[in-house]
Amino acid sequence: MAEMEVKSGGGHKGPGVKKSKKHSTRVDLTPMVDLGFLLITFFIFTTTMAQPTAMNLNMPKDTDKPDEINKVKESGSLTLMLGKGNVVYYYFGNDPATMQTTNYKDVRKIILDKKKSTPVDDLFVIIKPDKDATYKNAVDMLDEMTINDIARYAMVNPTADEYSKIQQTEKAAGVQ
Amino acid sequence: MGRAKIKRGSTNVDMTAMCDVAFLLLTFFILATKFKPSEAVEIVPPGSVSNKHAPQKDAFTVSIDKTNRVFINMTDEIKGDVFDEMMSERHMQVTPEDRKYFLEAGFIGVPLSQLLQFIRVPTEQLKNTKFNGVPADSTNNELQAWIGAAVAAGQGKKLNFLIKGDDAAKYPAFSGVIEAFKKNDIYKYNLVTTVEDVPEGSELYKANLKAQQSETPPAK
Repeated sequence: MAEMEVKSGGGHKGPGVKKSKKHSTRVDLTPMVDLGFLLITFFIFTTTMAQPTAMNLNMPKDTDKPDEINKVKESGSLTLMLGKGNVVYYYFGNDPATMQTTNYKDVRKIILDKKKSTPVDDLFVIIKPDKDATYKNAVDMLDEMTINDIARYAMVNPTADEYSKIQQTEKAAGVQ
Repeated sequence: MGRAKIKRGSTNVDMTAMCDVAFLLLTFFILATKFKPSEAVEIVPPGSVSNKHAPQKDAFTVSIDKTNRVFINMTDEIKGDVFDEMMSERHMQVTPEDRKYFLEAGFIGVPLSQLLQFIRVPTEQLKNTKFNGVPADSTNNELQAWIGAAVAAGQGKKLNFLIKGDDAAKYPAFSGVIEAFKKNDIYKYNLVTTVEDVPEGSELYKANLKAQQSETPPAK
């Protein structure tokens, strides 16, 4: 197929003239096949990777009726506040004054410690992204809930007290 | 009595046919791939461990870019209905031509008052055009109206509501979008993300491992 009949040019040469050696014109196609399949593999992989994924988010209905409001045990609650510059502030229970600072890497340990020390039914994580937190921060924290298998969590806005406390802390720490 | 001689065949296989097949496949895949249409607004979604694919059918997507502008995308199946619903709700007079332009437009990125001009801008020129996004604040919440129109137009269908935010978008913008959805009694959303690996040793990692093992029982 990849061969061609090569006519020996000027075949009528005298006896003393050397015949030029006929080379085969057959080309080894193996590397070309390799290349072809490599490209195919590459394209298949890159196309499937591009598909976007989605995470589910269910928000509760806003309610004013006191009997519909979820009650959270103080002993089982962990509040995570997301601030400026990828900083996380957290406190246990009900007292924002005991707020501590951490980051997105170390927060996993805090969540897990809390999870270990609390009965499953009592555990409740409250995520409060403040005005300076980014969308990525919020998604990261929701992701963290999935990673650590936290069944009960909620995302709400921080109270004015908490926000001012975060701002004070940020000012003191010089977070930009 | 000589034994029949076994003819020695050459071990050289002709690769031409295989080469043909490989390149035929390659050509097919290249041509069949739908390229992502270049977007006038670039949005980089954050990563998450979720591996569920984003729904592509009957999708109503609200995007938030890094400067907190809000845009609306819809899939073609619902686009026309939503447009009709919105226009009749706002008592806007539109021509069939307007409707045609709307169906061709990639996304909604301006307040209603500028919409009819906006959809006439060709997609290539959108990059150089200034637009402020759909108003989603409390005074003039058109996002809420669009969502309402989509809900009304998509009755009997299961609409998928997607939120696609940029990494750098601020949380209040996201919160505002959620608020607009909530006002329309929609509480389930899909957040568009990119794939991220599950951290090794975490609870989810162990759970996934367990699920895998129970799916494929160990061979005896």
